[in-house]
This record gives sequence, C-alpha cells and structure tokens, in this order.
Amino acid sequence: MNPELSQDLSLMHLVWNASLPVQFVMLLLLGASLMSWWVIFIKLFTLKRARQLTDQFEHEFWGGSDLNALYQRISSGRESVCEMGRIFEAGFREFLKLRGQSGQSINVILDGTRRAMRATYQRELDSLESHLSFLATVGSVSPYVGLFGTVWGIMIAFVGLSSVAQATLAQVAPGIAEALIATAMGLFAAIPAVVGYNRYTHDIDRLANRMESFMEEFSNILQRQATK
Amino acid sequence: MKPIREAAQVRRDNPKWVAGSLAFGVHVVFVLLLVFGVSWQTEHPAPVMVDLWQSLPAAESHPVAIKPPEPAKPVPAPEPAPTPKPVAEEPPPPKAPDIALEKKRAETERLKKLKAIQQADDRVRKDAALAEADALKKTRDKQAAEQKQQALLRQMEADELKQSMANESAANTARAAKQAEAQAAGARQGALAQTVGKYRDLISATVRGNTRLPDNLKGNPQVRCLVKLLPTGDVVSVRVTQSSGNPAYDAAVVRAIERSSPLPLPAEREARAAFVPELSFSHRPQE
Repeated sequence: MNPELSQDLSLMHLVWNASLPVQFVMLLLLGASLMSWWVIFIKLFTLKRARQLTDQFEHEFWGGSDLNALYQRISSGRESVCEMGRIFEAGFREFLKLRGQSGQSINVILDGTRRAMRATYQRELDSLESHLSFLATVGSVSPYVGLFGTVWGIMIAFVGLSSVAQATLAQVAPGIAEALIATAMGLFAAIPAVVGYNRYTHDIDRLANRMESFMEEFSNILQRQATK
Repeated sequence: MKPIREAAQVRRDNPKWVAGSLAFGVHVVFVLLLVFGVSWQTEHPAPVMVDLWQSLPAAESHPVAIKPPEPAKPVPAPEPAPTPKPVAEEPPPPKAPDIALEKKRAETERLKKLKAIQQADDRVRKDAALAEADALKKTRDKQAAEQKQQALLRQMEADELKQSMANESAANTARAAKQAEAQAAGARQGALAQTVGKYRDLISATVRGNTRLPDNLKGNPQVRCLVKLLPTGDVVSVRVTQSSGNPAYDAAVVRAIERSSPLPLPAEREARAAFVPELSFSHRPQE
C-alpha cells in the first residue's frame, strides 16, 4: 500500500509528527493553558473564601459586638481574616494610637485612620488582583500564537506539496490537520482564560465596592466615638 | 460558623496544590475526550480511488455530446429570406406610372405630329417616318419595361441563389469547424499515444533494470503479463498470460515487476487510463 494512503491520523500521531516550530507552539500553548487553569482555580478558591469571610465579618461587625473585643480577636491572628477585617484592624489600630496621643484634633485623628485604611485597602486589592493580568494575556494572545502555529504548519505542508509531481489531498491533509491542532489548543487556552478574567474582575469589583463603603461607614462610627 | 472556618483553614493550607491538580485534571479530561470522543479516520479504502477513475472518462465525453448544437445554428439562417420579398413586390408600381407617362407623352406627341402632318403637306413622309420611329420607340420602351421586370425577377432568383449559397457556405464552415475539431482530437489522440508510448518504454526500462536473468535463458523470448495497478502506480498483482516457455524467466519477470513498484505513470488522466487499472505488458530480455 502507499504510505500516504495508510496514514494514521490519530491525535497523538499528528502531534508527534508535527514540525518543530509547530511542536514548540503547541508546548507553549499547553503551558499557557495549564497555568491559566491553575490561576483560574486558585482565584476561584481565594475569591470564594474572601466572600465567605467578608459575609462573616460584616455579620459580626454589624451584629452589635464590641469593637474593642473584635479588634482583639482579629489582631491576635488566631483565625483567618478577610480583607475587610484587615482594613478594620489597620484603621482601628491607627485610631487607638492617635487617640492615645494627647492634643490631637478629631480631624487629624480621622484623617490618619482613613489613610491607614486606604493603604491597607490598596494592598489587599492588589493581592486579590494578582495573576489576573496573566489570564488577560493568555486570553488575548494564545489564539494568535495558535494561529501562528497553524499558518506555519500549513506553509510547510504546501511547500512539501510543491515538490511532489502528483498532488493529492492525502499529502496535505495530515499537515493541515496537525497545524489546525495548534489553533484548537490556542482557543482551548484562551476561552477559559477570558471567561475567568471577566468573571473575576467583576467579583473583585464588587468586593472592592463593599470594602469602600465599609471604610466610609467605619469612619463615621469612629468619628462618633471620638466626639463622645 | 466553625465548620466554615475550619474548611477555609484546610483550603488555605494548600489551595495552590488543589488548583494545580484540578487544572491538570481538566487537561487530562480534555485530551481523553479528543482521543476517544472524536473518531479520527484512519482507513482510506482503496476502491474509492478506482471508482473515481472509472467516472472520469464519461465526464470527458460530455463536451463532444454538447458540441453538435453549435453547427445546427446556421439552419435558422433562412429566416432573412422573407425580407427580399417585399423589396421585390414594391418596385413594379413605380415602373407602371413611368410607362403610362411615356405612353401619354407619346400620344400627345403623336397628336401634335398628326396636326403637323395636316398642317405641312411637304413633310408628310418625314412625319410618317417620325411616327414610325415613335412607334418603334414605344415598342422599344415596352420591351425595356419587360426587360426590367425580367431583370428584377432574375435579381430575385439571384438573391435566392445567394441566400442558398450563403446557407451552404455556413454549412460548409460548420463542417470545416467539425473537421478542425476532429483534427484537434486526432492531434490530442496522437499526443496521448506518444505519452503512452513513452511511459510504456519507461516501464519496460524500469522492469528490465530489475530483471535478474536466469542462467539457462536462450534467445530473446517474450513474456506477456497482466499487471493490475493502482492509480498511484503501485502493483497490486501480476499474472503471466503468455509464457516464454522458460518458467524461471517468467518468474524473474514477475519478480522484477513487483520489485519496480510503484511504476512510473503519466500525470495526465487520459494517458493514465491506458495503464490503470490493468496493464497488458509484454517483455523481452533484450530490446
């Protein structure tokens, strides 16, 4: 039988017989896909936990418990603390310190507290948003990388075809099939990354809104305490 | 509340490992889905190729079948024939007034001349001669008119003749085109025969190069084989149809044909039809 007629078109065979640049592209995309899924799962867990802990903290905070006791519990570091709890801790610590110093006006005390809370808020938001840019990069770039691999593979397939006297479809089909796998892999890496990126930016935005409104409300509470 | 916190604690211990293993799992599942879910075609049945070749010559005979309507076009050409008829009918009326006018003029002239005859007795003979001349003229005019009509008739006949001639010439050109086509087909056939002969020689040379002649071979015996070929030139089977009388030599030729697979085949489909799917192949040890 003719070797080209009995070509094995299984997936592994195609990947294994691909040209070196295409194989490199496939490897790159496989790595990008693994990393993006890893980030997606990490973010899924951390954001879920952050939401749960924030709910729990808000419940405790607005449940009428003593602020001092709450501060003691959080600053002891025995239990996992959510972002909002850390903002509360930083703000309350600064408030206590400034109030301990004699001769400070209320405005100075509140401004200092707010600055401390804002610094913590920025830090927490930054840690929440870490690795999200990686998802965005994978989502936007990997289709192009896959396309590059496909174009390269098809180029090679046609160059090989030009040196054959009798051109049949069976001579190009494996080359094109193996080249198209690169595009498929690029899309496989890109689609979940884009979906995850959009979903997580939205979730983080909602969490940031909650933290900001908490900061304002906590400032009001501290102001009321300071004027007492 | 405590269970939630404990669960959170557990997850917080190694979310990276859990996430990593989950990501790996997703990929493994996807690859398994691709490998076992998608049915990758691994077999190409050869008979499909043979069917393709059988259908092709029929497609080539189509243009020949379509062409005949083209020469048939000159047949509707006689349609212009009715147009000369009105032309032939119109001319006579203008001719008739001319004749009438001439007649009238002749009559008035004759009257005048009669008066003149009555007036001048001396010129009686001359006038009589003139009258005779007028009469002659009249008859001549009549004859001329008749001649004109006849000429017209002749013209019509000539037109018709021309028409038929034109038709004939159109038919002739059509016939000539047909002949040219036939000649072109013949030329193609010739080129085809040439390529077929060239590849036949090429195959013979290849087989000859691969033939290992047995020691007991005498003379230049001929073997005739029936070789079954794929369109790619691969030899499917070889059968000896006419033995050379030397079984060792027959076997050597069969082996040589099998060894020279794939055989060189022309790229043109028409030329290849002479080789595929069966090739009757005769072979001699020397040219």
